[in-house]
Amino acid sequence: MKVNVVAFANFREILGKEIEVALPAGARLRDLLDLLAKSHLGLHEEVYEPTGALKDTAMIMLNRVNIDSQGGLDAALKEGDELAIFPPFAGG
Amino acid sequence: MSKDRDLLRYSRQIPLLGEAGQERLSSSHVFIAGAGGLGSAVAFYMAAAGFGRITIVDCDSVEMSNLNRQILHGMKDLGRSKAISACESMRELNPVVETEPIIATIEADNIDKLLGDAELIVDALDSFDARFLLNRAANEREIPLFHGAISGFRGQATTVIPGRTACLRCIYPRHPRSTPSPALGSTCGIIGSIQVNEAVKYVGGKGRLLENRLAIWDGLASVLEEVEVDRDPDCPDCGSYRGR
Repeated sequence: MKVNVVAFANFREILGKEIEVALPAGARLRDLLDLLAKSHLGLHEEVYEPTGALKDTAMIMLNRVNIDSQGGLDAALKEGDELAIFPPFAGG
Repeated sequence: MSKDRDLLRYSRQIPLLGEAGQERLSSSHVFIAGAGGLGSAVAFYMAAAGFGRITIVDCDSVEMSNLNRQILHGMKDLGRSKAISACESMRELNPVVETEPIIATIEADNIDKLLGDAELIVDALDSFDARFLLNRAANEREIPLFHGAISGFRGQATTVIPGRTACLRCIYPRHPRSTPSPALGSTCGIIGSIQVNEAVKYVGGKGRLLENRLAIWDGLASVLEEVEVDRDPDCPDCGSYRGR
Protein backbone atom coordinates (compact mmCIF):
# COMPACT_ATOMS: atom_id res chain seq x y z
CA MET A 1 0.00 0.00 0.00
CA LYS A 2 1.02 3.60 -0.45
CA VAL A 3 0.56 6.52 1.91
CA ASN A 4 1.41 10.17 1.43
CA VAL A 5 3.30 12.29 3.95
CA VAL A 6 3.45 16.10 3.85
CA ALA A 7 6.07 17.67 6.10
CA PHE A 8 6.30 21.21 7.47
CA ALA A 9 8.97 23.44 9.01
CA ASN A 10 11.83 21.44 10.62
CA PHE A 11 10.36 18.17 9.34
CA ARG A 12 10.45 19.52 5.80
CA GLU A 13 14.17 20.17 6.16
CA ILE A 14 14.59 16.43 6.76
CA LEU A 15 11.88 14.86 4.58
CA GLY A 16 11.30 17.40 1.85
CA LYS A 17 7.83 18.78 1.15
CA GLU A 18 5.96 15.62 0.31
CA ILE A 19 6.85 11.94 0.08
CA GLU A 20 4.92 8.89 -1.04
CA VAL A 21 5.85 5.77 0.88
CA ALA A 22 5.17 2.15 -0.02
CA LEU A 23 4.45 -0.02 3.03
CA PRO A 24 3.44 -3.64 3.56
CA ALA A 25 -0.21 -4.29 4.29
CA GLY A 26 -0.96 -3.99 7.99
CA ALA A 27 1.75 -1.39 8.60
CA ARG A 28 1.36 1.00 11.47
CA LEU A 29 2.52 4.57 12.01
CA ARG A 30 5.64 3.36 13.83
CA ASP A 31 6.58 1.27 10.78
CA LEU A 32 6.21 4.30 8.52
CA LEU A 33 8.37 6.51 10.75
CA ASP A 34 11.01 3.81 11.16
CA LEU A 35 11.18 3.27 7.42
CA LEU A 36 11.49 6.99 6.75
CA ALA A 37 14.12 7.35 9.48
CA LYS A 38 16.32 4.79 7.74
CA SER A 39 16.64 6.99 4.68
CA HIS A 40 16.33 10.45 6.29
CA LEU A 41 19.09 11.42 8.68
CA GLY A 42 17.87 13.20 11.80
CA LEU A 43 14.24 12.11 11.60
CA HIS A 44 14.52 9.54 14.37
CA GLU A 45 15.81 12.15 16.85
CA GLU A 46 13.17 14.62 15.72
CA VAL A 47 10.18 12.32 16.31
CA TYR A 48 11.22 9.93 19.08
CA GLU A 49 12.06 10.41 22.74
CA PRO A 50 14.91 8.21 24.03
CA THR A 51 12.13 6.07 25.55
CA GLY A 52 10.70 5.43 22.08
CA ALA A 53 7.62 7.55 22.71
CA LEU A 54 6.56 10.18 20.19
CA LYS A 55 7.99 13.59 21.03
CA ASP A 56 5.66 16.38 22.13
CA THR A 57 7.28 18.48 19.42
CA ALA A 58 6.02 16.19 16.64
CA MET A 59 2.36 16.57 15.70
CA ILE A 60 1.10 14.01 13.20
CA MET A 61 -2.32 14.17 11.56
CA LEU A 62 -3.69 11.03 9.90
CA ASN A 63 -6.44 11.96 7.47
CA ARG A 64 -6.81 15.36 9.21
CA VAL A 65 -7.21 13.98 12.76
CA ASN A 66 -4.36 13.82 15.29
CA ILE A 67 -2.95 10.32 15.58
CA ASP A 68 -3.09 10.50 19.38
CA SER A 69 -6.76 9.53 19.24
CA GLN A 70 -6.16 6.92 16.55
CA GLY A 71 -3.74 4.71 18.40
CA GLY A 72 -0.64 6.91 18.34
CA LEU A 73 2.39 5.05 17.02
CA ASP A 74 0.23 1.94 16.74
CA ALA A 75 -2.29 3.65 14.45
CA ALA A 76 -3.10 1.28 11.59
CA LEU A 77 -2.43 2.69 8.12
CA LYS A 78 -4.24 1.89 4.91
CA GLU A 79 -3.89 2.56 1.21
CA GLY A 80 -4.21 6.23 0.33
CA ASP A 81 -3.80 7.60 3.85
CA GLU A 82 -2.72 11.22 4.05
CA LEU A 83 -0.37 12.22 6.84
CA ALA A 84 0.91 15.64 7.88
CA ILE A 85 3.79 16.16 10.30
CA PHE A 86 4.54 19.53 11.86
CA PRO A 87 5.86 21.07 15.08
CA PRO A 88 3.76 22.93 17.63
CA PHE A 89 5.10 26.45 17.97
CA ALA A 90 4.35 27.75 21.44
CA GLY A 91 5.84 31.23 21.80
CA GLY A 92 3.99 34.51 21.75
CA MET B 1 -15.42 61.82 18.69
CA SER B 2 -17.87 62.78 16.01
CA LYS B 3 -19.39 60.31 13.59
CA ASP B 4 -17.89 62.28 10.70
CA ARG B 5 -14.40 61.89 12.13
CA ASP B 6 -15.00 58.17 12.67
CA LEU B 7 -16.09 57.81 9.08
CA LEU B 8 -12.94 59.60 7.96
CA ARG B 9 -10.71 57.48 10.21
CA TYR B 10 -12.15 54.27 8.80
CA SER B 11 -12.77 55.56 5.28
CA ARG B 12 -10.24 53.21 3.68
CA GLN B 13 -11.70 50.06 5.26
CA ILE B 14 -15.43 50.87 5.16
CA PRO B 15 -15.42 49.95 1.45
CA LEU B 16 -14.35 46.47 2.61
CA LEU B 17 -16.76 46.06 5.49
CA GLY B 18 -19.57 48.52 4.80
CA GLU B 19 -20.75 51.00 7.43
CA ALA B 20 -22.75 48.22 9.09
CA GLY B 21 -19.64 46.06 9.29
CA GLN B 22 -17.64 48.92 10.77
CA GLU B 23 -20.43 49.48 13.30
CA ARG B 24 -20.20 45.82 14.27
CA LEU B 25 -16.45 46.20 14.84
CA SER B 26 -17.09 49.30 16.93
CA SER B 27 -19.57 47.45 19.13
CA SER B 28 -17.39 44.36 19.58
CA HIS B 29 -15.62 43.48 22.81
CA VAL B 30 -12.42 41.57 22.24
CA PHE B 31 -10.21 39.89 24.83
CA ILE B 32 -6.50 39.82 23.98
CA ALA B 33 -4.60 37.29 26.09
CA GLY B 34 -1.03 38.56 26.26
CA ALA B 35 0.67 41.89 25.60
CA GLY B 36 3.96 40.50 24.33
CA GLY B 37 5.16 40.01 20.76
CA LEU B 38 1.97 38.65 19.24
CA GLY B 39 -0.14 40.85 21.50
CA SER B 40 1.69 43.91 20.19
CA ALA B 41 0.75 43.28 16.57
CA VAL B 42 -2.75 42.17 17.53
CA ALA B 43 -3.49 45.11 19.83
CA PHE B 44 -2.18 47.78 17.47
CA TYR B 45 -4.09 46.51 14.45
CA MET B 46 -7.28 45.84 16.42
CA ALA B 47 -7.21 49.33 17.91
CA ALA B 48 -6.47 50.90 14.54
CA ALA B 49 -9.29 48.93 12.90
CA GLY B 50 -11.72 50.22 15.52
CA PHE B 51 -12.73 47.24 17.61
CA GLY B 52 -14.85 49.10 20.13
CA ARG B 53 -13.69 47.61 23.39
CA ILE B 54 -10.39 45.85 23.95
CA THR B 55 -9.46 44.07 27.15
CA ILE B 56 -5.80 43.05 27.32
CA VAL B 57 -4.36 40.81 29.99
CA ASP B 58 -0.73 40.31 30.96
CA CYS B 59 0.91 39.72 34.32
CA ASP B 60 4.40 40.83 33.32
CA SER B 61 6.36 44.07 33.32
CA VAL B 62 8.34 45.37 30.39
CA GLU B 63 11.96 44.23 30.21
CA MET B 64 14.78 45.31 27.91
CA SER B 65 14.82 41.87 26.26
CA ASN B 66 11.19 42.39 25.15
CA LEU B 67 11.91 45.44 23.03
CA ASN B 68 13.14 43.64 19.90
CA ARG B 69 9.56 42.63 19.16
CA GLN B 70 7.04 43.96 21.66
CA ILE B 71 6.34 47.21 19.86
CA LEU B 72 3.54 48.26 22.19
CA HIS B 73 6.27 49.15 24.66
CA GLY B 74 9.26 51.46 24.56
CA MET B 75 12.21 52.54 26.69
CA LYS B 76 9.97 54.71 28.86
CA ASP B 77 7.94 51.63 29.76
CA LEU B 78 10.78 49.55 31.22
CA GLY B 79 9.60 48.13 34.53
CA ARG B 80 5.98 49.14 33.91
CA SER B 81 3.01 46.81 33.49
CA LYS B 82 2.69 45.51 29.94
CA ALA B 83 -1.10 45.59 30.12
CA ILE B 84 -1.12 49.28 31.12
CA SER B 85 1.56 50.20 28.60
CA ALA B 86 -0.43 48.36 25.91
CA CYS B 87 -3.58 50.31 26.64
CA GLU B 88 -1.70 53.62 26.55
CA SER B 89 -0.25 52.73 23.16
CA MET B 90 -3.63 51.69 21.79
CA ARG B 91 -5.33 54.85 23.02
CA GLU B 92 -2.61 56.97 21.48
CA LEU B 93 -3.24 55.26 18.16
CA ASN B 94 -7.02 55.39 18.40
CA PRO B 95 -8.64 57.26 21.30
CA VAL B 96 -12.10 56.12 20.16
CA VAL B 97 -11.36 52.59 21.37
CA GLU B 98 -12.23 51.73 24.95
CA THR B 99 -9.34 49.83 26.50
CA GLU B 100 -9.14 47.86 29.71
CA PRO B 101 -5.81 46.64 31.09
CA ILE B 102 -5.80 43.66 33.43
CA ILE B 103 -2.64 42.72 35.31
CA ALA B 104 -3.17 39.05 35.98
CA THR B 105 -2.11 35.52 35.16
CA ILE B 106 -4.85 33.62 33.37
CA GLU B 107 -5.80 30.65 35.51
CA ALA B 108 -8.64 28.18 35.70
CA ASP B 109 -10.24 29.94 38.65
CA ASN B 110 -10.14 33.49 37.26
CA ILE B 111 -10.66 33.10 33.52
CA ASP B 112 -14.42 33.54 33.65
CA LYS B 113 -14.10 36.82 35.51
CA LEU B 114 -11.30 38.04 33.25
CA LEU B 115 -13.24 37.31 30.07
CA GLY B 116 -16.30 39.16 31.30
CA ASP B 117 -18.64 39.74 28.37
CA ALA B 118 -15.96 39.48 25.68
CA GLU B 119 -17.28 38.17 22.38
CA LEU B 120 -13.97 37.25 20.76
CA ILE B 121 -10.78 35.81 22.25
CA VAL B 122 -7.36 36.37 20.72
CA ASP B 123 -4.63 34.00 21.86
CA ALA B 124 -1.35 35.89 22.13
CA LEU B 125 0.03 33.77 24.94
CA ASP B 126 3.34 31.95 25.22
CA SER B 127 2.31 28.66 26.79
CA PHE B 128 -0.04 25.88 25.80
CA ASP B 129 -1.20 25.34 29.38
CA ALA B 130 -2.76 28.80 29.41
CA ARG B 131 -3.94 28.43 25.81
CA PHE B 132 -5.98 25.40 26.77
CA LEU B 133 -7.79 27.51 29.36
CA LEU B 134 -8.76 29.92 26.58
CA ASN B 135 -9.71 26.98 24.36
CA ARG B 136 -12.01 25.48 26.95
CA ALA B 137 -13.57 28.85 27.78
CA ALA B 138 -14.19 29.59 24.10
CA ASN B 139 -15.87 26.20 23.69
CA GLU B 140 -18.00 26.63 26.79
CA ARG B 141 -19.07 30.16 25.81
CA GLU B 142 -19.35 29.26 22.15
CA ILE B 143 -17.30 32.28 21.10
CA PRO B 144 -14.45 32.29 18.57
CA LEU B 145 -10.81 31.84 19.50
CA PHE B 146 -8.18 33.30 17.18
CA HIS B 147 -5.05 31.26 17.86
CA GLY B 148 -1.51 32.26 17.03
CA ALA B 149 1.94 31.15 18.17
CA ILE B 150 5.51 31.72 17.04
CA SER B 151 9.02 30.40 17.39
CA GLY B 152 11.89 32.14 15.69
CA PHE B 153 11.17 32.63 12.00
CA ARG B 154 8.11 30.37 12.13
CA GLY B 155 4.60 30.42 13.44
CA GLN B 156 1.07 29.11 13.15
CA ALA B 157 -2.50 30.38 13.29
CA THR B 158 -5.98 28.95 13.18
CA THR B 159 -9.49 30.07 13.97
CA VAL B 160 -11.56 27.99 16.35
CA ILE B 161 -15.32 28.32 15.93
CA PRO B 162 -16.92 26.14 18.61
CA GLY B 163 -19.25 23.52 17.18
CA ARG B 164 -17.86 24.01 13.68
CA THR B 165 -14.14 23.48 13.79
CA ALA B 166 -11.39 21.49 15.40
CA CYS B 167 -10.38 23.14 18.65
CA LEU B 168 -6.82 23.69 19.85
CA ARG B 169 -6.81 20.46 21.82
CA CYS B 170 -7.99 18.49 18.78
CA ILE B 171 -4.92 19.71 16.92
CA TYR B 172 -2.47 19.64 19.85
CA PRO B 173 -3.48 16.90 22.31
CA ARG B 174 0.15 16.92 23.40
CA HIS B 175 2.23 20.02 23.66
CA PRO B 176 5.77 20.99 24.50
CA ARG B 177 6.67 22.33 27.89
CA SER B 178 7.08 26.07 27.93
CA THR B 179 10.64 27.11 27.33
CA PRO B 180 11.69 30.53 26.07
CA SER B 181 11.93 30.25 22.30
CA PRO B 182 13.77 32.57 19.95
CA ALA B 183 11.44 35.41 18.96
CA LEU B 184 11.53 37.88 16.11
CA GLY B 185 9.29 40.92 15.81
CA SER B 186 8.51 40.38 12.15
CA THR B 187 7.29 36.83 12.83
CA CYS B 188 5.02 38.18 15.55
CA GLY B 189 3.82 40.81 13.10
CA ILE B 190 2.93 38.24 10.44
CA ILE B 191 1.09 35.84 12.75
CA GLY B 192 -0.56 38.62 14.78
CA SER B 193 -1.74 40.26 11.57
CA ILE B 194 -3.28 36.99 10.42
CA GLN B 195 -5.14 36.74 13.74
CA VAL B 196 -6.53 40.28 13.38
CA ASN B 197 -7.41 39.64 9.75
CA GLU B 198 -9.42 36.63 10.88
CA ALA B 199 -11.20 38.60 13.61
CA VAL B 200 -12.08 41.42 11.21
CA LYS B 201 -13.45 38.90 8.71
CA TYR B 202 -15.42 37.12 11.44
CA VAL B 203 -17.07 40.30 12.70
CA GLY B 204 -17.49 41.73 9.21
CA GLY B 205 -18.88 38.48 7.82
CA LYS B 206 -16.32 38.46 5.03
CA GLY B 207 -14.24 35.85 3.27
CA ARG B 208 -13.23 32.37 4.31
CA LEU B 209 -11.90 31.91 7.82
CA LEU B 210 -9.07 29.60 8.86
CA GLU B 211 -11.70 27.07 9.91
CA ASN B 212 -10.34 23.55 10.16
CA ARG B 213 -7.15 24.88 8.63
CA LEU B 214 -3.91 25.40 10.47
CA ALA B 215 -1.80 28.03 8.73
CA ILE B 216 1.94 27.45 9.10
CA TRP B 217 4.32 30.28 8.30
CA ASP B 218 7.91 29.34 7.54
CA GLY B 219 9.79 32.59 7.45
CA LEU B 220 13.06 30.89 6.61
CA ALA B 221 11.56 29.60 3.37
CA SER B 222 9.08 32.51 3.04
CA VAL B 223 6.21 30.07 2.65
CA LEU B 224 2.70 30.21 4.12
CA GLU B 225 0.86 26.89 3.89
CA GLU B 226 -2.01 25.11 5.55
CA VAL B 227 -2.67 21.77 7.18
CA GLU B 228 -6.28 20.63 6.96
CA VAL B 229 -7.59 19.43 10.30
CA ASP B 230 -10.82 17.93 11.61
CA ARG B 231 -12.47 17.74 14.98
CA ASP B 232 -11.49 14.81 17.13
CA PRO B 233 -14.78 13.22 18.18
CA ASP B 234 -13.13 12.14 21.43
CA CYS B 235 -11.63 15.54 22.24
CA PRO B 236 -12.09 16.30 25.95
CA ASP B 237 -12.63 20.00 25.21
CA CYS B 238 -15.02 19.95 22.26
CA GLY B 239 -15.73 16.29 21.47
CA SER B 240 -18.97 14.49 20.88
CA TYR B 241 -19.61 14.04 24.60
CA ARG B 242 -20.51 17.72 24.59
CA GLY B 243 -23.47 16.82 22.43
CA ARG B 244 -22.48 18.71 19.30
